[in-house]
Amino acid sequence: MESIGTNAAAIEVLLVEDSPGDVRLTREAFKDAKVHINLHVALDGAEAMAFLGREGQHLNSPRPDLILLDLNLPKKDGRQVLEEIKESPTLKSIPVVILTTSSSEADILRSYQLHANCYITKPVDLNGFLEIVKSIDNFWLSVVKLPRVPS
Amino acid sequence: MPLERSSDPRHADSHVSAKFANAPNLAEEALRECEEKYQMLLDEVQDYAIFLLDQQGMVVSWNAGAERIKGYRGEQIIGHNFSCFFPPEEIKRGRPEELLRLATASGRHEYQGMRVRKDGSRFLASIILIALHDPAGNLRGFSEISRDLSERKESGEKYRGLLEAAPDAMVVVNQGGEIVLLNLQAEKQFGYSRDELVGQKVKNIIPEGFAERLIADDLRSVEDALAQQIGTGIELTGRRKNGTAFPIEIMLSPLESAEGILVTAAIRDITQRKESEQQLVKTVGELKRSNDELQQFAYVASHDLQEPLRMVASYTQLLAQRYKGRLDSDADEFIAYAVDGSNRMQGLIRDLLTYSRAGTNGKALHKSSSENALKEALTNLRATIEESGAVVTHDLLPAITIDDTQLSQLFQNLVGNAIKYRTSKVPHVHVSAAKNGGNEWIFSVRDNGMGIDPQYFERIFIIFQRLHGREEFKGTGIGLAICKKIVERVGGRIWVESELEKGSTFWFALPERDGK
Repeated sequence: MESIGTNAAAIEVLLVEDSPGDVRLTREAFKDAKVHINLHVALDGAEAMAFLGREGQHLNSPRPDLILLDLNLPKKDGRQVLEEIKESPTLKSIPVVILTTSSSEADILRSYQLHANCYITKPVDLNGFLEIVKSIDNFWLSVVKLPRVPS
Repeated sequence: MPLERSSDPRHADSHVSAKFANAPNLAEEALRECEEKYQMLLDEVQDYAIFLLDQQGMVVSWNAGAERIKGYRGEQIIGHNFSCFFPPEEIKRGRPEELLRLATASGRHEYQGMRVRKDGSRFLASIILIALHDPAGNLRGFSEISRDLSERKESGEKYRGLLEAAPDAMVVVNQGGEIVLLNLQAEKQFGYSRDELVGQKVKNIIPEGFAERLIADDLRSVEDALAQQIGTGIELTGRRKNGTAFPIEIMLSPLESAEGILVTAAIRDITQRKESEQQLVKTVGELKRSNDELQQFAYVASHDLQEPLRMVASYTQLLAQRYKGRLDSDADEFIAYAVDGSNRMQGLIRDLLTYSRAGTNGKALHKSSSENALKEALTNLRATIEESGAVVTHDLLPAITIDDTQLSQLFQNLVGNAIKYRTSKVPHVHVSAAKNGGNEWIFSVRDNGMGIDPQYFERIFIIFQRLHGREEFKGTGIGLAICKKIVERVGGRIWVESELEKGSTFWFALPERDGK
């Protein structure tokens, strides 16, 4: 688990991603973001749930405004993480963006059935990937009104 | 009137009683004369064994027919018990005595059964056993009249000839489930000699499924029971003398005879057929498995290769974007090669995925318009067509049974190639279709492009085979391999005719089938 920036007015984003390469690329892409983003990273599904449940070392973790979730993860699979989030009364209002290499119809359908808020297949080339992250920034963190949950 | 008397066995007792009882002297002379004539007459009878037994079943007279049929001369058999005409197992069961009892009780007993010749061979006989009484009503003995059913008629001989000539084992069975006749093939197939089988239950060689089929029940007569089986091969199990089992196919047919309906069974040893069937099923299974594995391998490999490659490509691109001109010129060149290599690798993997999906992920086949498929392909090629100024024309195209998405891809690849490999002339592409003599639609995509050297006609359809350098034409060499896979998936063919610098025509034949 790592976090960058601790601006109080910043938007909290939890990235659940096991590939350090993708984490770095996402971070690079968010560098030019219009709003200030605190990017938190969980490297597997179990850690993501611990972060969201404020367990152990995550006792003081902020509640994320947006979750970027990969599907194929070690320990706890992304599909299960999604299911647990959407079944939780306190967590289900957090928008979850599936960001994965899988373009399988079955994965897409299953994700939406589990109430994913949108499903994005990672583009294979760099510029495509950067574009996608920028549009996530643009749409989910600027255009969209996110729910404010009283603490 | 000895003739008439002898022809009716019911009157025979008066004659026989004369022989056994002491007839009055007055009549003795006349009677002896009568008896001699009668014996002469009996001796003339060749087709029937006619002989007399005493109360215990000892043979007391013998005729020529009996000698011929049973193989004993009179002096060899007279004085012996008639039980020696029976198979050992029947003697054991007390059958000869039982028959005498039956004849005694009812005066006359008629039956069919197996008899044994002097040489030990067996035959099916039709037998009439008559109890003989003296005028006082005391039992004096028996007369037996029997014939060998297997030789009874001329047609029987012909039938036997046919039986022997048949390539299959042939077994004739009566309704008691006993074997009446068989041929040499049957002896070989089951490992018995003829005499060991005649008279035996057919269950001994076909334990299940045969004898049961011959039995009438409340719902059907024997004829009906049999009629249901006629002409159809029934697969059963045969058992050889040595106890080994083997698969057989039997065909039944009825044979009407004076003894009722007999059943002829043609029995074929289908061991080899069964083995090759099993072998075929096994081979097909293995082939399918290896094909599936290969398909799965190609898919998984290309899918899983994509992940690390995405990292390589992304970071070399990031290097190129951030550091171009900031390192030395060698570094720029090296990075450029790395970027180019990873880009090409991504193209190959993407195409490999497309190729492996073409065989598995295709939709179900249904009737669809090939003209619409072409239109969709041309829409996808719009940029290419506009940029090259190509003119694409087509004849009326039929509705065919195929996965329309794949047909569209087929057209897109072929028309795309026709435009891609053009000369300096304006590219002209023409698509047409015609039905050939068989049940195939033959499509053609003709161009006026650069043409293909005939030596490459086969090679161009192989995956990743290219005829041009990357600098000349882009591409991985997957397009025609995909075309081939799409066409072959529906049982079609694809081929090319071409002449260098004059253009190429790609043909594909799709079998016509009933659309759903």
